[in-house]
This record gives sequence, C-alpha cells and structure tokens, in this order.
Amino acid sequence: MKRLSALLLMLAGLAAQPTRAQELVLTLSTREVAITSTYTGADVTAFGFIERDVRSVPRTEPFEVIATVQGPVGDIVVHRKGQLGPIWLTAARERFARIPTYFAVLSARPVSEIVSHENAQRLKLSLTDYLPPIDTLPPDEITAQSEFRQALLRLRAEEGALHIDPKAVTMVRPNLFTVKVNVPGKAPVGLYVINISVVAEGIVLRTAQAGFVVRKVGFDAAVADAAKNRAPLYALITALIAVLLGWFANFAFRRD
Amino acid sequence: MQIYLPIAELPLSLFLLLGMGAAVGFIAGLFGVGGGFLLTPFLIFIGVPAPVAVATSSVHIAASSVTGALTYWRRQALDSRLGAVLIVGGVLGTALGVLFFNQMRRLGYLDVIITLSYVTLLMSIGCLMFVESIGAMLESRKQQRAGVAPVKAAPEKAWHQRLPFHMHFARSKLTTSVIPVVGLGTIIGFIGTVLGIGGGFLVVPALIYLFRIPTNVVVGTSLLQIVVTMLVAIFLHATISQAVDVILGLVLVVGGVIGAQFGVRTGQTLKGEQFRLLLAMLILAVGVRFAFEIVGKPPDPFVISTVEVER
Repeated sequence: MKRLSALLLMLAGLAAQPTRAQELVLTLSTREVAITSTYTGADVTAFGFIERDVRSVPRTEPFEVIATVQGPVGDIVVHRKGQLGPIWLTAARERFARIPTYFAVLSARPVSEIVSHENAQRLKLSLTDYLPPIDTLPPDEITAQSEFRQALLRLRAEEGALHIDPKAVTMVRPNLFTVKVNVPGKAPVGLYVINISVVAEGIVLRTAQAGFVVRKVGFDAAVADAAKNRAPLYALITALIAVLLGWFANFAFRRD
Repeated sequence: MQIYLPIAELPLSLFLLLGMGAAVGFIAGLFGVGGGFLLTPFLIFIGVPAPVAVATSSVHIAASSVTGALTYWRRQALDSRLGAVLIVGGVLGTALGVLFFNQMRRLGYLDVIITLSYVTLLMSIGCLMFVESIGAMLESRKQQRAGVAPVKAAPEKAWHQRLPFHMHFARSKLTTSVIPVVGLGTIIGFIGTVLGIGGGFLVVPALIYLFRIPTNVVVGTSLLQIVVTMLVAIFLHATISQAVDVILGLVLVVGGVIGAQFGVRTGQTLKGEQFRLLLAMLILAVGVRFAFEIVGKPPDPFVISTVEVER
C-alpha cells in the first residue's frame, strides 16, 4: 500500500513536470469595450492556441478548455428577511467583501465533468472560491454561512452577474479554440480578467490570463466624469436644464 | 431602442422611460401634484438603483413644478411671502435629508427606509384623503337637499397663532407665528429629499387643514416651495450623493412635460371631491403595492441590496 502511494506520488510528479512543455497562446478580439449611449452589452472573443513540442506527453484524450471571467471587485450584501410582527424586514445580513461583481465560468461541457472538485477549487471556478473558507467556523455558523452563500450564487445568477455557460467554448481544432465572453449591459465598468486553463485527462496542463477594459467613452464618459469630478458644475447644469425645460413647457403650452 | 444611462450605469428602453415620464406627467397634471411618489417607485421597479431613482426624480419634479408655479404666478394665485418662509424651512430640511440619505445609504438601510416610509406615508395620507373626500361628497349631497350651507364658526385664536414671531401673509389671509410654517417646510423638505418626492400631497392638505389658507393660493404656494427645495435637492444630491443621472432626468422630463399637458386638460373636467377621491385611491394603491413587499412571507427570504464597485 505504501509502495503504491509512493508510486502514485512519483507519477504525479512526472505528470506535473511536462506541463511546462505545453504553451498556451491567447489573444482577444478587443482589449477595450467602449460604452456609448446605445451600449447594451458586448461580446468579446478569446482565441487560444495550444502549442505542443517534443517534450509534451502524448495524451489519448483531447484537450479541454475552461475559462473564467472576473469583473471588477466590489462589496455585495445579502440580506435575509425575518418576521417582525406583521411585516418582513432584513433580520440578518452578510457582506461579501471584494468579490468579482461579474463572474462567468465558460467551457464546452459542464466543468464538473472536466475537472475534479479539488482542481475546480484550485482554479477558482466558483464565486464562493473568492470568499474566505468556512470550514474553520463553528458548526452552527457554517449552516448560516452556506445558506447566505447559496443565496448569493442564486441571486447573482438571476441578476445575470453570475453566468455559467457550458457551451461558450468551441474547439475549432484539437489545439485551437475560441471562448465567447458576453458582457451584459448592466455589468460594471472596469477591468475584466479572463483566466483560461487547458485540461487533459483531468489534469490542468496550463493556465493563461488575458484582460480587457469596459469603460465609458465620448459623451457618456464626459457626463460621468463631470458628475464625479466637477459635481457643483454638473449640479448647476442639471438644475438649469430642469428649470429651462419647465419654463419652456409652460411657454409652449400656455393657454391663458 | 435602448439608451445607456451613464450614472445609473445600465441600459434601459428609451420608449419605456418616455412613456413612464408621460404617465407620471399625466397624473401630475391631472391632480396638480409632482408625481414623485409614483416616479421613484417606478424607477426602482425597472431596475434603477434606489439612490439614483430618488436623486433623479428631483429633476423631474423640479421641471414639472416650474411649469405649474409659472401658471399660478401669472394668475396671481400664490403667496410668495408664505412661500419664502416655507422655503427657509424647506432648504434646511433638504440639507438634513441629504445627510440622512447618505448616512443610511452607507449603513445599507436606505432601501428598507424608503419602503417603510412609502407604506406609512402613502397609506396614512391616502386614508385621510379618502375619508375626507367621501365625507365632503356626502356633505354636499346633504346641502343640496337642505338648500343651506352650514356656517362654520372660526376658532378665536388657533394654536399656531399663540406662538411667538408673528408675520402677516396678506394673500393667504393669515397672521401667524413663523415657527410652525418653517417647521412644516423643514419636514416636507426632509421627507421629499429622502423619498424623492416633491411633497405637494403633504403641503397642500397641511396648509388647508392646519392653517385654513384659501384653497386658491395653496397649490401655487406649495409649487413655489417645491421648485426651490427640489433645486436645492438636485444640487445636494449631485454634489454629495453623486447619484443624479442627467440623461435619465432629461428623458423623464421630456415625457413628463407632454403627459402633464393632457393631464391638466383632463383634470378640468373633474369635480373637487371626485378629484380628491381619485387622488386618494391612487395614493392608497401605491401604498398597498409597497405594503405587499413587506407584509406576509416573502417568496424568497433572501435579497441582494447593495453592490458597491471599487474603482
């Protein structure tokens, strides 16, 4: 038994060694998603090429690709309502600090079929992998915490801020693939990081990263910038617009 | 057609927003109210973040009350002296309101406070108006049968006249202490800023029932006060809360201006008590809609409220 586990360890070591021989080359269809007045979301495509050389271990199973997309980090609060007399109000809340406000898991088939649970955790394939571990908490708190975390995942998925798509990766050739990333219109502005892992026979061979920026441009950028950096001026102009439009309406529609 | 809102940070249908502005404008024109109590909930309902909805509603209310106030100004149907005293309180209340708004937003209680306040405020005002207008309708029927109007004896000296710092408001036919007037302005300014409403539906009954001011100057005076407090609210919300979306405001105002004209025309065909009864029912309906959100077991006990993105 002991010899068997030693052998397995050695094999694992051998398997880990040649992974550096695989090269993963990535490129994105765009590095910048521009938000204009007609923006309703955007598609970004990642193209990847898995390069093999003589040191690569020949594998019987084809390469598989798993991608995650992380939007800008932010704080998300989940409230649990409780009864207070006849009304239901927030009884408990949990603040999830600094987690991706947009998160996507993209693959060609469900990730649970591609990698083991441990590897999935290592690759941070779930939004909860960005949260502190709960195993160290007292048992009663674990139940409450996991309820909050399940609610977080469910509600973020309903809002479209958590997107799991087992059809977004296309293997064009055994070593050439595309990943389609859909940025919803509601997703916040900021930096988006795509993490792409190449897996074969359940072993993670290579991981590479690429990023793109979602930002407002032109008029919308000017408005947002004015609202933030020249707030008094922005406020005066907004108030003036309200007065002028109100005055104009009175003038245009007066009947006396 | 979708339009991206740069401060709310989401795309929404342009026609939906225009239609919403027009619908609220119609009701505002019909009843001579700002319509903020309908607009803010509408905006929150379609996905605009609550702070942006509240702050941007003040743009819509300011524009529509400018239109209204100008009309009453030309008809000499407003008391600018009384309005000025109300404004003193209103500005104070608005400043307090913005501070409270941001404190609650930071603590994460803003959504709950908005919902609870809407329920209590709309339900109580709606019920009062409902009972009052039914009473008035019965009264006018009785009078028609009896043929004589009962003469109500005015009280010698009302409670608000016993306070110090008297001032005479000629047009309102009122001599009273400025303390309750400033106080009323402060309360309305505070509530208006926190809830994104003008508060016309609070000021008008207060002036009529508490101070017995002639009805013909009440609406104009209330509109004058709303114009100024909402302009202050825009300024403070834009500088402190940074939640005023000028594009959203513009679209809503354009819709609102058009809707209001049809509302005013329809409103002229309604009788006073009918008018108040309809408004009471509308206010009650919005209150009930909000009450449903917090009364009874929610289908989903969990809710996500705040998403603050680090920049």
